[in-house]
Amino acid sequence: MTSAFSRLRPDDKPVVISAAFIVLILILGTVYTLATQGTAPLFSPNYLLQQLQTGAFLGIVAAGMMMVILLGHIDLSVPWTLTAAAMMATAVGGDMALPTGIAVGVAVGLINGLGVAYLRIPSMIFTLGVDSVMRGLMVWHTGGFAPQDQATPLMRFLAAEKLLGIPVAIFVWLFVSVVIVTILGRTAFGRSIYATGNREAAAYLSGIRTRWVIVGAFVISGVCAAIAGILLAGYSTKAYQGMGNAFLLPAIAAVVIGGTRILGGRGRYVGTVVGVTLIVLLNSVLSIMQMPEAGRQVIYGTVIVGMLLVYGRDKQLTA
Amino acid sequence: MSEHPFLQLTGVSKYFAGTRALESVDFACERGSIHAVLGENGAGKSTLIKIISGVLKPDTGSISIDGMPVDYASPADANAAGIVCIFQELSLVPDLTVADNISLAQPPRRFGMIDRRAQREIAEHLLARIKCEDVDPNALVRDLSLSRRQMVEIAKALGKRPRLLILDEATSALTRNDVETVYGLLADLRQDNVASLFISHRMNEVERLCDTLSVFRNGRHVETFAKGEKTDGQIVRLMIGREVDAQFPPKPAPTEHPAHLRVNALSWEKRLKGASLTVGRGEIVGLGGLDGQGQKELMLALFGVLRGVEGRVEVGETSGVPGDPAIAKQAPRRIALVPEDRKTEGLMLPMSIADNLLAASYAYVSVGPFISPALESQAVSEAVARLQIKIGDPQDAVATLSGGNQQKVVIAKWLMTDPDVILLNDPTRGIDVGTKQEIYRLMRRLADEGRAILFYSTDYAELIGCCERVAIMYDGAIVAELTGDAVTEEAIVAASLNIHAGAFGVTQ
Repeated sequence: MTSAFSRLRPDDKPVVISAAFIVLILILGTVYTLATQGTAPLFSPNYLLQQLQTGAFLGIVAAGMMMVILLGHIDLSVPWTLTAAAMMATAVGGDMALPTGIAVGVAVGLINGLGVAYLRIPSMIFTLGVDSVMRGLMVWHTGGFAPQDQATPLMRFLAAEKLLGIPVAIFVWLFVSVVIVTILGRTAFGRSIYATGNREAAAYLSGIRTRWVIVGAFVISGVCAAIAGILLAGYSTKAYQGMGNAFLLPAIAAVVIGGTRILGGRGRYVGTVVGVTLIVLLNSVLSIMQMPEAGRQVIYGTVIVGMLLVYGRDKQLTA
Repeated sequence: MSEHPFLQLTGVSKYFAGTRALESVDFACERGSIHAVLGENGAGKSTLIKIISGVLKPDTGSISIDGMPVDYASPADANAAGIVCIFQELSLVPDLTVADNISLAQPPRRFGMIDRRAQREIAEHLLARIKCEDVDPNALVRDLSLSRRQMVEIAKALGKRPRLLILDEATSALTRNDVETVYGLLADLRQDNVASLFISHRMNEVERLCDTLSVFRNGRHVETFAKGEKTDGQIVRLMIGREVDAQFPPKPAPTEHPAHLRVNALSWEKRLKGASLTVGRGEIVGLGGLDGQGQKELMLALFGVLRGVEGRVEVGETSGVPGDPAIAKQAPRRIALVPEDRKTEGLMLPMSIADNLLAASYAYVSVGPFISPALESQAVSEAVARLQIKIGDPQDAVATLSGGNQQKVVIAKWLMTDPDVILLNDPTRGIDVGTKQEIYRLMRRLADEGRAILFYSTDYAELIGCCERVAIMYDGAIVAELTGDAVTEEAIVAASLNIHAGAFGVTQ
């Protein structure tokens, strides 16, 4: 077991560890439900599909976040990019709802990318500022009240309907995932993200347009946040203040639990998917176990820190 | 006066990863003397200084001060013994004030807190001693000019009350007035019986200032003699020696090469001052000179890395300085640069060999917008075979390879783009002799294929062995071009020091 484990490539280890942890969560949760109610709902397809549907929103945000983290940057503007996209989409409505929402994501991503790549402002500061600006603009737009605009039928369909018994949101997540995997593995842009994240100077001296790469990654992050916002608005039939707040930290945590190096340059997309699943299931099982909110927060945080401690044991090749 | 020299090194050797940096060096330094240490790049001067100042520990041999053996645990111990070093790279903290920096290691204390007033007075006193009254002790070091910073560095060293002061190229950044002040200071220190070790590449400085000269070569102490005992020519010959430790491929018969890369009056900031040069197709042109005379900047400018470059650059029919490396590497210019530091500029160390090889040529292995796995693996195996890179699996991290094989990966990466102009910035630094010879042969083959090669090396023997023509840089400009039989070590060293070869009548 130990030798098989140590033969794994370093990129795969976090994926295996978190996958094992998911199984452990499900087993512990089932032991609890069997003991208290005598049933095992956690392994029913319905329960799992429902969790994946919940996970789709987080998963799409995390997919975009991963692009940025692979560069060693971070996108803290996700909460209000997501909210702004949802509010604009519902405000415009009709056929233009989706394009409008996505355009908001592109615009915020461009601003973030240009600020980080060309003005060389640290992404942690710049995106935090942009988040605040977006929040201000949205409060201005709504007057601080809950917006009254309704989600369009298409938004409802994408977020809340089912196709062949499977929630459509999962298909959207799948589509985003295929696009991201293709970009990372099979395009020059994706390879450039890894190269730039590892060592920007060497990538630049290899003739990679590292600034464009940074801008591109932030645009993808913005678009992903926008898609998640549109879906979430469809799911709850309308946009609302602060709808993105619950996504920022879990998205970063999912990416990092999935084995992406927080300093950039290394990480596999499948890890992010596993990380998202782990976080969603952990939350769900803790609430099934009727863990009080305080305890849930403590366990949630401990798991994230604990997983990172386990990954940190990798042997370093370079100083 | 005691009968012992102030500082005595006996049988000191130092090895780095198997290569010898210093080999059984005996060296002494007397009180009240200004002692010059001369040698080519890599002769062991820096290692010597680092051992004397406690930065490095010798592998064998002993050091004694005043006849008493010493064994420093750290540079702070050496400081306490009165050995103070002013390094070429500044050791000031830019965001602290001048006074803070000067007293950084031993700040004056009052009730356990730093006594700012005393600290300021110390700084004022020391700055006055080197005629820098115009420097405000409360100014941030960040806001000072390079020359002023260097003077603060000297004040800081004086504050440690040196008994042996080491200056490693410490005058290179100074203005003329400050240089004079430092000369005066060193003369005063000599009066006070302080020993000084002076490392400089400027022969006129050495001749003016020092009373004793020591020459190092290949990690050995060759000879120590008093000033005036030897001519410039003899000193240069001592620095070069006669060791040749590499085999070079035969040079082709001299032919006319149509110029492909034409550089005219290239200037950038204060590092390039009107450098002009041509390189023809099929030609290897060497770029020589001492470290840091603008060779690196010249290559970076040609590759489009530097902003605000002035002057003309033509590659074939295309003129203009490329805007960034992505433009430089594309047709019609097709320039490749093998950068100075392969670990930070050439490679993404944690990434796989395959990823590193492909980093400059995604476009060549793509079909439409997508990278083709078949083309990719074919390109990687061709590159590995072409340079005979010794690897296990192309998916292994490039950090697992030896230095020589890492450098081959950098070169192979660029050959995949089929470049017309190849800029090599000291490609053989720190790699084994076998790989060096492979790189020499490869360079010759690439030139024979009609590519234009500009080859900077800190090793004069390489320039002589590989190049038909060698351009020597000094202070941001090309000061001499040596062709054919005129490419000799004497001529290169003389030109590097910017003195005319005829002036000291070297016989060849």
